[in-house]
Amino acid sequence: MVQAESSAATPFETDFWKDAKLRKVWDDIVPGAPRNTLPYLLTQDAIALYCRAVGETNPLYLDEAAAKAGPYGGLIAPPAIHILLMFACTPADDWMRSPGTVNAGQSWSYNIPARPGDTITLQARALDKFIKRERLFVVHDNVFFNQHGDVICSGRGQTIRPM
Amino acid sequence: MTTANFDALKAGDTIDGPAFAVSRESIRLFCDASLDYNPLHLDDNYMKGDFGKTNFGGIIMHGMNNFGLISRMLTDWALPAGAIHRRLETRWLKPVKPGDTIRPAGTIKAKQTTAKSRWVLVDVAVQNQRGETVAAGEAMLEFPTAKAG
Repeated sequence: MVQAESSAATPFETDFWKDAKLRKVWDDIVPGAPRNTLPYLLTQDAIALYCRAVGETNPLYLDEAAAKAGPYGGLIAPPAIHILLMFACTPADDWMRSPGTVNAGQSWSYNIPARPGDTITLQARALDKFIKRERLFVVHDNVFFNQHGDVICSGRGQTIRPM
Repeated sequence: MTTANFDALKAGDTIDGPAFAVSRESIRLFCDASLDYNPLHLDDNYMKGDFGKTNFGGIIMHGMNNFGLISRMLTDWALPAGAIHRRLETRWLKPVKPGDTIRPAGTIKAKQTTAKSRWVLVDVAVQNQRGETVAAGEAMLEFPTAKAG
């Protein structure tokens, strides 16, 4: 069963302090080393919740009958669903969850849409780290795939690490 | 607001985005939707502290909430015309706090035809109710030749 191996097997820990001690600090992060990731079953409920949070109302994301008649032949997720996938596909000790992590900017490229029912996997790593104006930066790069091995989207970002 | 028609588009044309009222509830909902429970977005006591030289003075909205709003603006504009949102790059310039109202907007920057398709580059920005730019960046949309215009 896919679900037994996925991040759905354990409830998501919303207290980001709880595993704080297990996470890598800036000094520990090795550019080029892969991050541990988890497969994630993307549900229509998760897509609908994301849509509600940003006010998305497009029927392609929310109305099965309308989506079926549309260009994708069924429901899809909005492109920016990777905002959710980044946390859904990583374990509780991932350094992206360190309290005080400040997002400094991101860029994402979109290939094909994620769909409800997809089992999403992530390949991710830190790509670079540097110090600028006394702040500790890490560059991360990420590629999300569906269960067929198709690229959904790829992205790069910079975070300022907590001191 | 310009129509998403590749042939008619020209530099300087604009895309209007939706106003978004930021509240403690909207930020909490974004936590649940994104699974990003960083205390920056939840914990007022934690946010009394300093971050290097910065003190935010209270919880702040997720930077990616800006990203999601820009993406929503672009897809709402492009999808009815058969165009595809292919890329979005943003950086955050100012924190957004509960009580703020933010709105994304786009300005057509350039058009490009390549061997197999057609592309539009859009400068994007999000402004708050004081007219301050809180996020800025650039997007790329594809207008496939098979679905002209």
